[in-house]
Amino acid sequence: MELANHIKVERCTALKSATKTEALHELLSLLENEIKPPEFDGVAKEIFYREQIMSTGIGQGIGIPHVRYPGIQEPILIVGIHPEGIADYASLDDEPVCLIFLILVGADRHKEYLRLLSLLVSKLKTPGIRQRLHAAAQEENAAQTIAKILKENDS
Amino acid sequence: MNAIHLFLSEHLAPDALNALLLLGVILFGGGWVGRTFQKLKIPQVVGYIGLGVLLGKTGLGLIDGSTMTSLQPFSTFALGLIGFMIGGELKAKTIKKYGRQFITILLMESIGAFLVVSLLVGFAAWLFFQDIAFAIALGLLMGSISSATAPAATTDVLWENKTKGPLTTIILGIVAMDDAVALLLFALSSSIAGALIGGGNSSLGASLLDLLWEIGGAIALGCGAGFGLKRIVRGFLEDDRILVFSIGAILLLIGLAQYLGVDIILAAMTMGFTLSNFAPRRSKTTFSLVERFTPPVFVLFFVLVGAKLDVGQLGTVSLVLAALYLFGRIGGKAAGAMLGATLSKAPASVRRYLPFCLLSQAGVAIGLSIVAGQNFPGPLGDTIVLILTATTFVVQLMGPPLVKHAVSKAGEVGLNITEEDLIRRSQASDIADENIPQIKEEDTLESILNVFAQRDNLYYPVVDKQGNLTGILPIEKLKDAFVATDIAPFLVAHDIMEPSEFHCQYNTPATEVKELFKKSGIASLPMTNEKGQVTGMIEYRRMQQHVARKLAQLKNKATALEDA
Repeated sequence: MELANHIKVERCTALKSATKTEALHELLSLLENEIKPPEFDGVAKEIFYREQIMSTGIGQGIGIPHVRYPGIQEPILIVGIHPEGIADYASLDDEPVCLIFLILVGADRHKEYLRLLSLLVSKLKTPGIRQRLHAAAQEENAAQTIAKILKENDS
Repeated sequence: MNAIHLFLSEHLAPDALNALLLLGVILFGGGWVGRTFQKLKIPQVVGYIGLGVLLGKTGLGLIDGSTMTSLQPFSTFALGLIGFMIGGELKAKTIKKYGRQFITILLMESIGAFLVVSLLVGFAAWLFFQDIAFAIALGLLMGSISSATAPAATTDVLWENKTKGPLTTIILGIVAMDDAVALLLFALSSSIAGALIGGGNSSLGASLLDLLWEIGGAIALGCGAGFGLKRIVRGFLEDDRILVFSIGAILLLIGLAQYLGVDIILAAMTMGFTLSNFAPRRSKTTFSLVERFTPPVFVLFFVLVGAKLDVGQLGTVSLVLAALYLFGRIGGKAAGAMLGATLSKAPASVRRYLPFCLLSQAGVAIGLSIVAGQNFPGPLGDTIVLILTATTFVVQLMGPPLVKHAVSKAGEVGLNITEEDLIRRSQASDIADENIPQIKEEDTLESILNVFAQRDNLYYPVVDKQGNLTGILPIEKLKDAFVATDIAPFLVAHDIMEPSEFHCQYNTPATEVKELFKKSGIASLPMTNEKGQVTGMIEYRRMQQHVARKLAQLKNKATALEDA
């Protein structure tokens, strides 16, 4: 599994919402065509339930909401970009979250799920990547740039 | 009006109670009565016999002589099945171990009853009838019949209560074999009685020869059939086929035994003994299949035993003789059994409680009384038949509760249970680990690891803030999480748990739990209360360990009783 295979420009979006709840709804709305109700509502509920258990804001301006849900065929990764940062994300370091990576994987694909999370986190830990991503978030065509950064040199 | 009357009399006449309807009444009523008696903690066999008394000659008269004759093959079949099952429980090892005790106690209790009853009944008969020859003949014949003990009702109590231990072993051996002693004593008494008052068999020699044929033939036939069945079941794996062949073989054996005029119970017992001792592992399936087949046949058998009894015709003299027979038999058997147990150094429980277990009389005793009735027509034969009918009624109703009392006191109840029995008697709370730590959904990998490190369970329940079950955390999922060390600090139990599709409550029968494990392929099952809060966890692996441990404990308990 490679992270690049799961990065799609059309799934990278600049967020207009100001709060965490709105932002997550906005990200999920990108999937409305792919996931039909009632699964869609189930996925949304599960995302918010997971946030209730413990916030997925891992610090340094990054949030990774992630769930497994029955019926999801291929792993889905959506990137939300918020140049000013979402202040109410309840991140570990209490900093506003500028980049949200929403991960959805099938309920029975436990290993793939952990692998995708792991690939993303190690990518974000690569020296300089976070700075480049944050800088890109301020650009006008942030989505393309961010997708490009995430796809590059994945090996 | 006439047409209606005609219609009703045609369709609702008493003789419309056809054989199948009667069988239905017997089995359905028997099942119901058995259950009720079991709830009242009285052996179910008492209920069956009581139902028979109600339906038979003494009661409503629904089962009359001709019905009884037409249902007789079922009774014979039941006797064959009882013999077969007893034979299956007797192991050569046990006989070697208990052989001396068997023989000593068997001879003492049979001869004890024979002597006491002969003296008491003979003396009373002399007082009543002032005829010494008649008194001696009656005393001897009644004495010899008194030594017989019916295995059916006694073993039914043992099987119902799943007993195991020295007392059970001795009872099984004795009730099955003392009929042979009774036959021998009867043959001797019959010859003496014949010489004293005329009638009876021609000579002692001929009687003994008959007896030799009856016993020797039965053993030879049973051995042959046992080896034959062993060869047949060896080739089959399907339960259905083994059952058909086994029942077929038992029926064939009974039929042949009847045809050849040899002892049916002994023949069937030898067959069971041969099969279980020469093919100990393979025959386990055969016996457990046949055992499952027996209940309706036994119910029918005991109901018919009750129906056969007619206690309405007793006069004062017969009542006194019956009472003497009864007390003499109980006293003689008790004294003989205790003396035999002491002489052969049997365990204390045998010495103390065996006398309670030798009361039952049925088929053989009634059969012998009928033979006496035929061989000695007139007052002698009639008195014997009447007394035996009355006393059989009493001992059949008194015997089983006393057997139950004895085996309970001896501590042997519930020791002979299989894994299936144990599971059938258990519920979820018996096999669940109720102290299992609960992992909270928000627990981090580090705290989860602590839980796994402290215990050897492989599955833990995951709960929400209210303690409600939300999933299961198996050790494999935890292992997967270690591969992704980068993300470990951000993961909580909710991220790596499995959804819990099944759960049970404390009172869910263990059979259902086992079935669920088998059908769904899960390895653990959480136990919850009505609110959905977790109260325990059942792991398949631990359930098996629990059952194995419990069975070993019961086995040890039975072994300890032997040394007591």
